[in-house]
Amino acid sequence: MNVSIRIIGIATMFFWIFLIAFAVSAVYSIKDLQFDFGEARFSVSPNHGILFSLPIYIDNNGYYSIDSFNITTEFSDSEGAFITEGFTLIPVIPKGENATIVHNVTLNLDGSLEGGQQYLFNDSELRIATSVGMRFAEVFPVEASTNFSLPWGAPFYNFMLGEPEYSGFNLTHQIVTVPLSFENHASFDLTGEIQLKIYNEAGVLLGENQAAFEVLRFSSYNGQFELYVQSARITSSGRFEVYLLTPFLDCEPLVIPYG
Amino acid sequence: MVDEQKDFKKTLREITFKVFKATIKGVLFYAVYYFLTQFLAPISEIVPGFQLMIEAFVMAYIILMILGELTSGTIFHYFFDTAKSLFVVLYLLLTLNEGLLSTNFKNLNLIVDLRLFMTISMLFSLLGLAKSMLQAINFLSGKAESAAPKCM
Repeated sequence: MNVSIRIIGIATMFFWIFLIAFAVSAVYSIKDLQFDFGEARFSVSPNHGILFSLPIYIDNNGYYSIDSFNITTEFSDSEGAFITEGFTLIPVIPKGENATIVHNVTLNLDGSLEGGQQYLFNDSELRIATSVGMRFAEVFPVEASTNFSLPWGAPFYNFMLGEPEYSGFNLTHQIVTVPLSFENHASFDLTGEIQLKIYNEAGVLLGENQAAFEVLRFSSYNGQFELYVQSARITSSGRFEVYLLTPFLDCEPLVIPYG
Repeated sequence: MVDEQKDFKKTLREITFKVFKATIKGVLFYAVYYFLTQFLAPISEIVPGFQLMIEAFVMAYIILMILGELTSGTIFHYFFDTAKSLFVVLYLLLTLNEGLLSTNFKNLNLIVDLRLFMTISMLFSLLGLAKSMLQAINFLSGKAESAAPKCM
């Protein structure tokens, strides 16, 4: 009996020493872990959306590897309605190595056109809920989460069509000149095409024109559209239909009355 | 008279030895704790109250260890050993909040899952508890054997 008790005692002592040494070294090596977050930015995604990119640099100089490093970001509007979410996973970051990842989330504004248009024309605030999880030293799952707001600059802020001006072209047609302006408040350069259609008060299409545009970020656009219309069909009032064709959103036509 | 003096001296020597042994064990345990806290500094900065939590644990553990040493050679030694093992189990259960440690810095919420670590620690403590029980049974059976009349 004495021998078996002694063996249990010795085994327990060794288990404790091993466990405490492991726990202490794991905690101590936390100081050699470094996480750096780069500047978050928006850009136009190749697959028809707006891409949110967050670079993350992880330097693991600790004694243990990091497993299942994952980051989840959920976007919601200023009222808390869900917009989109993204997930990035790195299976293993071995000890002594560093990793650079870019966490991407695509905001597809096509899904809800009304919501999408709101982001096209109005500056807003996006709420972002981010959680970072990992398993440290194989046995310590850690999760950190935070919420913050990010200002959203509308790419077509203050979109305006001026009053149409008519000038004669020939006996049957006139040129309608429509000034158009907006400010690109977005943090990305904007390219696309604007298509303008003019209808008289009976709803008859008088003429249409389209033009490509390229507006640098945080700058404004001022242009003029010229439409050739039949003089006989012109009425004192009517409506314009504006189609904004961008790489991230094909918007429903904007209907703007005139006259 | 001479026998009484010899018994007294023997008892005094035994008590002195126990006190010395208990002191050495206590000091050694505290020294190991002090050494290890240097490595635990990163977590003390992150988790407020962690240092206090560990210190309270170490103090209670050292007291139970000293009491166990002072009562060695009696059944109380095993009581204190058992109490020590149970204390570790209960302390882990109560302080580690079922193994999920949570803390907040400004807007950041951090959760550390220590359930696996806690389970392993508790299993080791239960092993220690089993050892103490076996030692107590062995001690009592040894006493019973020595008290029983010897048959020829």
